[in-house]
Amino acid sequence: MSDTLHKKSFFRKYLFSTDHKVIGMQYTITGLFMAAVGGFLAYVFRYNLAYPGDHIPLFGELGAQQYNSFVTCHGMIMVFWVAMPILLAGFGNFLIPTMIGTDDMAFPILNMMSFWIFLLSTIVLLASFFVPGGAFGGGWTMYPPLSAGGYTNPNPDFFKAFFSGASLMILAVALEFVAMLMGGINFLVTTINKRTKGMTPFRIPLVVWFINIATIIFMFSVGPLVAGAVMLLFDITVGTGFYDPARGGDPVLFQHLFWFFGHPEVYVLLLPAVGAIGEILSVFSRKPLFAYKTIIYLALLSAILSVVVWAHHQFVAGIDPRMATFFSVGTIIISIPFAGIFLSYMATLWGGSIRFTVPMMWALGFIGTFLVGGLTGLFLGSNAFDIYAHDTYFVVAHFHYTLFPVVFFGFFAAFYFWFPKFVGKNLNPALGKIHFWCTTVFFNGTFFLLFFNGLGGQHRRINDFSLFSNVVKEPYITFEKIATISAICLILSQFIFLYNFVTSAVRGKKAVKNPWDANTIEWVADSPPPHGNFNPYPEVFRGPYDYSLPGEESDFIPQNVPHTNENIPVLKVKLSVS
Amino acid sequence: MEMVLQNPVREQKAVSDGIIGMIFLLATEAMFFAGLISAYIVNRAGIPVWPPVGQPRLPIEVTAVNTAILIASAVAIFLFRKNIIANFNKGNKSLKLLVTTILLGGTFLAIQGTEWVRLIGYGLTTTSSLYGSFFYVIIGVHAVHVVAGLAILFYLFKAIKNSATLEIAKNKITVCSMYWYFVVGIWPILYMLVYLM
Repeated sequence: MSDTLHKKSFFRKYLFSTDHKVIGMQYTITGLFMAAVGGFLAYVFRYNLAYPGDHIPLFGELGAQQYNSFVTCHGMIMVFWVAMPILLAGFGNFLIPTMIGTDDMAFPILNMMSFWIFLLSTIVLLASFFVPGGAFGGGWTMYPPLSAGGYTNPNPDFFKAFFSGASLMILAVALEFVAMLMGGINFLVTTINKRTKGMTPFRIPLVVWFINIATIIFMFSVGPLVAGAVMLLFDITVGTGFYDPARGGDPVLFQHLFWFFGHPEVYVLLLPAVGAIGEILSVFSRKPLFAYKTIIYLALLSAILSVVVWAHHQFVAGIDPRMATFFSVGTIIISIPFAGIFLSYMATLWGGSIRFTVPMMWALGFIGTFLVGGLTGLFLGSNAFDIYAHDTYFVVAHFHYTLFPVVFFGFFAAFYFWFPKFVGKNLNPALGKIHFWCTTVFFNGTFFLLFFNGLGGQHRRINDFSLFSNVVKEPYITFEKIATISAICLILSQFIFLYNFVTSAVRGKKAVKNPWDANTIEWVADSPPPHGNFNPYPEVFRGPYDYSLPGEESDFIPQNVPHTNENIPVLKVKLSVS
Repeated sequence: MEMVLQNPVREQKAVSDGIIGMIFLLATEAMFFAGLISAYIVNRAGIPVWPPVGQPRLPIEVTAVNTAILIASAVAIFLFRKNIIANFNKGNKSLKLLVTTILLGGTFLAIQGTEWVRLIGYGLTTTSSLYGSFFYVIIGVHAVHVVAGLAILFYLFKAIKNSATLEIAKNKITVCSMYWYFVVGIWPILYMLVYLM
């Protein structure tokens, strides 16, 4: 059907397409490519940490400045060029129009431009590796005065300064924000205005709610960072002194502007993943999502709290202790809504007829690993402990225990869940399970021991520990080696995923419309949905989580099935028609 | 041959796509200006002598007149929207008000430009002091928004010329004038903070 509907040239169909599914795919593939780049950087500097000075296979020798560049770009790439395109833009583009029952985004051309600007930002970032001096190496947070070259030259040569690692990175981030802003406006307007008939606010699936809340947080918090970045760019290229204390500027100001965005950004990434996990848990527990409305209110509460806790990143930057107390308390309070959300997820599992499919395993794995990240976050939220742990591997381990589950477990859960729908082919479940267990084991192997390294006082910004043998001793050296070997295995296990992805997409078995017996209306469309998604457009009569209702014969009732008194025979007819 | 797809069955839209999109864009823009303003205030509060010794004073009087010009442009676009919605057929008469808006916006930019040239002559540059840096960045960012606003109004002018009925053009008129109101509305705040404070 899709062939006769919209015959388009190859370029219009796969490259300059305005179809939300193609754009979602473009974002996801670009994000996965950047994940490979970020993973390779991680491999190189992890190898250097375990075996300093050795020749690194596939790379060579890593100098100290290069080490800094690689760590910086690993962080930058993983947050802004992997997590953002996959979790926000990828999920949003695929899921919002199909789950609210519409044909496309509200502004399709804006959506297409959003991707092309994003791709441009990717190219600018990758180009920064090849300018004189190499990619920026002052940490992904770009703190001045380091990022502004230490203000050693008050009258910089504009072009030379502009084509430096630091300013290209700022430019790339700015372009990426423009892309995400265009995407974000599309998400919100589409959700507000393009819902199908009967899709009232509290019949919208959780993941769509969460993507929209994430978008609002992003749009609220990004402005101050752009303002800070503009001023930093002027400092680098024109020679102003916004952050130069010698000229009356304030370097801590940049930290405030950065973290005013940087902390909510964590929730921008977290919420889409948590939403997708909620969908999956409900489907495979065969139970309604516990406390659906409460979860939405808790997410809104955490969104509000997330913009008033940013300075907990600056406890060691010399901020006023009274302010530190305020931010400490706020940080610990924000765990309350998230505890509420996760307890609701536990309650969803409780007493359910659990199906251990591949997406369900990723969803449960997410909860287990993220729990470790969340609990160690409580330690760090406390000002007194943070001052000790801040510059150690404890922070590295905590950060990766939060963001790795969010970005990769969240993405893989969604990938294995929605792949049959959007690609129209079935994945190999055995390979999926091997991929899950390898990833989970090696992820924990990489980061769990680093908590002990951090508690032992091992500093996180040293590239060659052999130079500090008096402070770094056993077992921490062994732990570093275990972490590196696990990290290499973790990267290698992703080839299972790649193999499964490619072979299934090419010659997998054709997927049915609703392989998981799920209720939300994207499962009503064909697999894969044609251009325009639905024909005819479904009308929605009920909430998204009507699983195992008492008195019903079927244990799931899709959203487009009307309520009826003698519904059992009618229900069967309706189901087969849809 | 393209087959026409059935339109999605939708709930009645309370507010059009364009207006909602513009609201979110302007909210983001407002936060961007809030970031610049808060950076300015934080730095300003830490410096005892402001403006720094040896730096020229900003042209308060000329800019007051210029502020009035910009506000007049907002009045013009308000009357334009009111007139054209009341009587679309007499489009050319209403369009004169839109042209007035564009001209007033252009005048604002021209006066700002001449003042900048004079200030640079007096020794106020981006690198001469933090005072100059903030002045040029904040006021410059606003000027960029005025230029974007003028481009949007010019687009609106062309769009109305090409629209046969009010229904086609009405949404564009509202969305474009929202942007111009933002550009005008943020200016008195910047004037007060940067010039008067």
